[in-house]
Amino acid sequence: MTGAGNISGPRGGRGGSAAPPGGQASAQDEDASLSDDALVALFANGDARAAHVLTARLGPRSYAVALRVLGDRDEAEDVAQEAMMRLWRMAPDWRPGEAKVSTWLYRVVMNLCLDRKRRGKRAGTARLDDVPDPPDPGRSAPERMQDGARIDALQAALMELPERQRQAVVLRHIEELSNPEIAGIMEISVEAVESLTARGKRALAAALAGRREELGYSDG
Amino acid sequence: MAENHIEDGFLEAHFAAARRSSGDLPAALAARMLADAAGVQAARAAVAPAGRAGSGAGLVQQFLRVLGGWPTMGGLAAACAAGVWLGVAPPDFLPDPVGLMVQQSSDVNLLDSYALSSVLAEDG
Repeated sequence: MTGAGNISGPRGGRGGSAAPPGGQASAQDEDASLSDDALVALFANGDARAAHVLTARLGPRSYAVALRVLGDRDEAEDVAQEAMMRLWRMAPDWRPGEAKVSTWLYRVVMNLCLDRKRRGKRAGTARLDDVPDPPDPGRSAPERMQDGARIDALQAALMELPERQRQAVVLRHIEELSNPEIAGIMEISVEAVESLTARGKRALAAALAGRREELGYSDG
Repeated sequence: MAENHIEDGFLEAHFAAARRSSGDLPAALAARMLADAAGVQAARAAVAPAGRAGSGAGLVQQFLRVLGGWPTMGGLAAACAAGVWLGVAPPDFLPDPVGLMVQQSSDVNLLDSYALSSVLAEDG
């Protein structure tokens, strides 16, 4: 799923481009077989290709989650870039096996988002509409329009949630992380995660109630 | 319960739309991330150019750099040797360090150089 000017990241097998033939395919396969821990160690030792793989693998998720939490593309880009910069600087001190690199990076993104809110950075849904999402070739035009309407409605409802509920809902239902992993990212208990996501979903359902027909959803 | 199921399906449709839209990283942002990575690696390489022979050699090099290099190590060795020599064979104006370490007692007769009568005479 690529558009002009965008780079697809691996996400549960969806997206990405077809593998090129010959030697490039084997190099890509080799890169794909390396763990995040191994790539961070390679990067710390000066391997430039490790930076490319880590950016492709972790960059999209950092940007996407920041976008949903902040509701502003420019702010999300700043947060994602800062989060990756912290990864580059931290690399020599990374101890493999203690935690997942992705968990650490999600935590950095969430804390940067909280810092932005505390500093009074204004987040709004309007900026998301300035640059439309790239079209998904797997969806028809009416389906893409419906997706666009649902995304806009969801983002507006997400911005009405308290910060921590929003973070938990985004990590659970958009990033599809497990409750224990979310607990590690947000540094709270699993029970607290379950409470946040349950309350967040109830609030979202209430905010979107009455718009089912408009958003193309029928009960029957 | 049916109502909850419908609500879950309704919300899930929105979450699924968001998941479909969030797989891409803007190319300009990716370029900035990679430029940051290259900058960090270049700065690290400039600070530690000889730290690639192995962790042991790297640690020795770092230790010498902290002290100020081989010239400083030479001065440190000379100072240590001088200290040992002073301890073994101190000059006359310095006390014998061995003697200082070993307790010695000696009797000193404070009145040895005075006649007892002259001391008593001072009292009138």
